[in-house]
Amino acid sequence: MSKTGWAWTWFGFLLALDIAIPWFVLTHVEKMSGAFLFWTVWVVVAIISAFVIFLRWKEVRR
Amino acid sequence: MSATFWAWFGIAIYIAVGLAIAVMARRRLGVGVSEFFLANRKLGGFVSSLTYSATTYSAFMMIGLAGLTYFSGVGALGFELTYLCGMFMMVFFLPRFWLVGKKYGYISPMELLSDRYQSRWVGATAAILALVFLVPYSAAQLMGVGFLMNGISGGAIPVVVGIIIAALCAIAWSNIAGMRSVAWTDAFQALIMIATSAAILGVVVAGLGGFGSFFSKLEQASPGLLTVPTAKGAFKLNMFIGLALPWLFFLISNPQVSQRLFIPKSVTAMKQMLGGFLIFGFIYTMISVLWGFSATLLVPGVGNADKVTPALLASSTIPTGLAIVVMIGITAAAISTIDSILLTLSSVWARDIHKGLINPRVSEKREVRVGQWVIPIMTIIAFFFAWWAAEQPGHLFEFTIAPLSAAASAGLLMAVPAIFGAFFWKRATAMGAIVSCIVGAIVVLLLQILSYPQVLGWKPLGWWPGTWGFIVCVILFIGVSLATKPPKKKAEEFIGYLKGKLAEGNFI
Repeated sequence: MSKTGWAWTWFGFLLALDIAIPWFVLTHVEKMSGAFLFWTVWVVVAIISAFVIFLRWKEVRR
Repeated sequence: MSATFWAWFGIAIYIAVGLAIAVMARRRLGVGVSEFFLANRKLGGFVSSLTYSATTYSAFMMIGLAGLTYFSGVGALGFELTYLCGMFMMVFFLPRFWLVGKKYGYISPMELLSDRYQSRWVGATAAILALVFLVPYSAAQLMGVGFLMNGISGGAIPVVVGIIIAALCAIAWSNIAGMRSVAWTDAFQALIMIATSAAILGVVVAGLGGFGSFFSKLEQASPGLLTVPTAKGAFKLNMFIGLALPWLFFLISNPQVSQRLFIPKSVTAMKQMLGGFLIFGFIYTMISVLWGFSATLLVPGVGNADKVTPALLASSTIPTGLAIVVMIGITAAAISTIDSILLTLSSVWARDIHKGLINPRVSEKREVRVGQWVIPIMTIIAFFFAWWAAEQPGHLFEFTIAPLSAAASAGLLMAVPAIFGAFFWKRATAMGAIVSCIVGAIVVLLLQILSYPQVLGWKPLGWWPGTWGFIVCVILFIGVSLATKPPKKKAEEFIGYLKGKLAEGNFI
């Protein structure tokens, strides 16, 4: 699979977690360590993933 | 002296500094359409990052999102962070927009669509979509300022006066030097937004005994708000998807932000813009949600989501001076979004409607002039919408800032398949883009109206208008494209050019 394909797959996986964990795993955890902590960590992972990709960009000729 | 006096004093200082920055920006203003609407594509990473942040984050955050958190709990965090996760798609779209913008000289995202699909009607359709659906979004910002000034002053500043102040600032800052004045004032306002919101959250959390004590109190007082769905049934999956789906694609569906993908001066500036925004967005989202949670402890019993923040700012917990500074911060968030929307809509009207359909031979000078006339006209329309919506009874959830903003984005979502097709699908056609945008938007509008409690209160199978509209839109885009003839030569050239450049810049 191409780098672009891997990146789209990873993004799709993140979105699947976005639904699956809070609604089906943590739905009864009435604490800050439940959905609140999950979404916080989850988005940090998404942000770091974006950094890993875009920090490799380099200037192009005009 | 009274809170009202200090509120007016703070507003006056804010307006004076903003005007001074806008006037300074005018000294750098050159001539031409690209100069006025895109600052000649020469903005550095720092300013690009702050104008992107200030344009994206609006009164929605500290008022709408905080109110949504207050009533509907942790799902509000998930919904807003889903948007931020959606920004991962910038790794695909930012270099693509930027590269073709430089090569073909596009002024608006709609012009990109017109050229790629070889049909000016595609751009015009997307332009009309933006002109229609950005009105309620702009109105939501104006309402935010109105409610805030009214709340802080204890009712001494009428809501409509706050709306007028915000509207006048937005007109001035977008008209004085186009993108240069908007970007510079946005940068100033973004710094105010983040500094004031962080300061006020610090004061509130300290008052609650620190983060540990705050979280512990929250778990004891409102455990039902910490799950999805909440104990009272908010944020069931259909509500979450209804709110989050339009937000997920906000980076390409909203032209006021996608137009900013044309403005960085270099790849380094692009990287700074994206990195800076992601950090800003994470911090500002966490602050807004924690602010909303703190309000559940400090000002329980507020009846309207949009009045939660004004109620907390007016409470005895917050020193008056700090409350006024925060009011300025939230006002900055709202105005920095409206002026960007106005400038984008003016460029869309001038380039995609006036030049695209009415007068293709118009001079650049005249095109800028047409755009400048559109700014006050769109503001007046948004003003009346905001005034009307602000007068609706307080219990009507649909007319509060969060759902109003989401409804607007649901309409804009209908351009997303056409934008994806432009970059990734050579078989996509102009007819597919036009039909999917128009029918999708009609579905969204109809279902939106039918969903209001005063009409039918009907959401088919419980799913929101944007979700249904998007399904219809995607099916139509693919189906009609397969049944019609694509602009093969342009598609090969456009996507072929990108392929080469993406490899050269190590983009994906």
